[in-house]
Amino acid sequence: MTNQETRSEEENAIHLNYMREALSMAELALHTSETPVGCVIVHPSHGIIGRGMNATNRTRNGTMHAEFIAINEILSPSPESSNASSLTNLSSKSPPFVTENEEERKSLYPFPPRILNESTLYVTVEPCIMCASLLRQFGIKRVFFGASNEKFGGTGGVLDVHLGNGKVSGIESNETVRTTSNQEEQMAHRRNGDYEVSGGWLREEAIVMLRRFYVQENGRAPEPRRKADRVLKLEVEPLEGGGGV
Amino acid sequence: MNSESAESHCVPAPAPAPPADGGQLIPLKTILEIRAAVRVLNVYITTVPIQKASSTLGLVRTLVPRDGGYDFQHLRRFAKPGVVPEGVRRRYFEGCGEDGPESLRSSVDENEGLKEEGCEEETKIFLLIAATSIISPSSLLPSLESILGPGVKLSTTEIPLLAPTSAEQAKGWSEKYWPCVYKKSIPFGPHVAIVSRAQEEVLRGVRGWMDSAWGLADAAREEGVGEGVGVVIVERRGGEARVVVGAGDGRWCRWGREEGGEGNVTAHAVMRGIGMVSEGLARDYTSPSAIPPFPDTEGGIFRNHPLLDLENDLPEKEVDVGGYLCHDLEIYCTHEPCVMCSMAIVHSRFGRAVFEKRMCGTGGLCADEGGLGHGLWWRKELNWTMLGWRWVRPLGFREGRVDVVDVELDA
Repeated sequence: MTNQETRSEEENAIHLNYMREALSMAELALHTSETPVGCVIVHPSHGIIGRGMNATNRTRNGTMHAEFIAINEILSPSPESSNASSLTNLSSKSPPFVTENEEERKSLYPFPPRILNESTLYVTVEPCIMCASLLRQFGIKRVFFGASNEKFGGTGGVLDVHLGNGKVSGIESNETVRTTSNQEEQMAHRRNGDYEVSGGWLREEAIVMLRRFYVQENGRAPEPRRKADRVLKLEVEPLEGGGGV
Repeated sequence: MNSESAESHCVPAPAPAPPADGGQLIPLKTILEIRAAVRVLNVYITTVPIQKASSTLGLVRTLVPRDGGYDFQHLRRFAKPGVVPEGVRRRYFEGCGEDGPESLRSSVDENEGLKEEGCEEETKIFLLIAATSIISPSSLLPSLESILGPGVKLSTTEIPLLAPTSAEQAKGWSEKYWPCVYKKSIPFGPHVAIVSRAQEEVLRGVRGWMDSAWGLADAAREEGVGEGVGVVIVERRGGEARVVVGAGDGRWCRWGREEGGEGNVTAHAVMRGIGMVSEGLARDYTSPSAIPPFPDTEGGIFRNHPLLDLENDLPEKEVDVGGYLCHDLEIYCTHEPCVMCSMAIVHSRFGRAVFEKRMCGTGGLCADEGGLGHGLWWRKELNWTMLGWRWVRPLGFREGRVDVVDVELDA
């Protein structure tokens, strides 16, 4: 995993800017009783092409993480398009990206799926295992995240889905990969879909955002836990080895 | 942990017994079960007079609180020489450069115990002290000698790091490493009794649900909306199990194949099934989270509404509107779900997951070596675990029909 130390000041400033955009999406989630995780997807020439925030509560669907919402925004037909309704009719099974009129396609679907191959995801919390696999299968180019996710993380936290789909040789997942494999071996493991990952960007802000949420009640869980006594802690312990911002 | 090492050989899984007439459910193994078969830890052992056994162990607990984080619950802390493997006994005496009593190096009668010259009346037993990585002999020996007197012998030996998962495994390890105890409440998998009770329930309906799932898979492929993958979601209430959702793969529905790529990743059969359940759950439109109505499940990439006639016809009842996600529902999949879908099943709080075709290159549920090894159906780090099985047909895969799905597909 690379981090900001190896990048120029100018480049860091660009990444931090996009991460602030992701944080503002997380903040939006917080205000609508969703777990405050936010993201933006950025294309080198189009800028921000998609924004997402966790939507699992509002949709009653535990898979509606920020990454899904952002990709949905990118690959959906433009809402302003008057012809969109004909193509989004559920009974229509014809592929959207195949129309005889290329101009029409562009007006309805501004971006084809392959745009993700050139795009970078900025997300406040490390993608979970599910999202890491989603990103892999859609072929994202790069991922920058804020806080690590030791419970669900799919890009280093629990699994390394971004490298060879997380397949581990031998018996011990994390330890083996981290201690015995050198760069060359890792390259041999790489398959189509591997992507670059960098963590620790605005990590403290992302963590404080989560803590603000966890002092609220989540009334929808089957057995709501009392959180009234919880106190919001604002200081964040530094990462070991000084990896954070 | 440097002191842990892997055995060079793997214990091959026993071949499943021939399926009975109704087919067979094979419980999935957890990632910890798979690892337990091959992981050992180096520890110090010694011998102590029975009369001083508990005071010595008390001292060890002071020197190495909580055993340094290692769990020895599956191991005998004290072992009579007769139950300690012969090789371990021999190394103990030879390694110390002293001769042990002849009776120890050969086969020892368990009841006779261990007697040393000069202490004819004193019976000694072996004590498992601590992991070699936790404490050094130089800090261990002076303390032990304060209780046991001078000339305490230490030896190192390997013990299985994790608890055995069967009585047979415990017996094998007891003969090879150190006396082990098999407790049915293994700390790294669902309780055996819970699995077998659930398995009886699942076995009664699995064949019909799997057939329905294959029906959806065939329809999805034939209609051109997706790959030949299908799932059926079942609700079990008061002993009665009924289908609430059926979903075929929809990755090519309104999606251009010639664009390349893997199609609409969010429209895998599992993701569609979960989406259909969510559509049936009650929405509280007065809560702020209901505003704005987003994401748009109609016009976007999500395929949470029926695309196939079978998806309309299969459900025997509606989703319980008061449910929480897919809490304790059961999912029956034609193929082992990909990593994304496996984790989606975990996030959705399913209670049971069953699949028929193993997907070694892409599947996320199984822990077995030979696949990705993620074992997502039951992992301690995750906040949800379920029960999981592979279903084996009585007459072989799909009774002779051919599965057209590519083995490398993310199902």
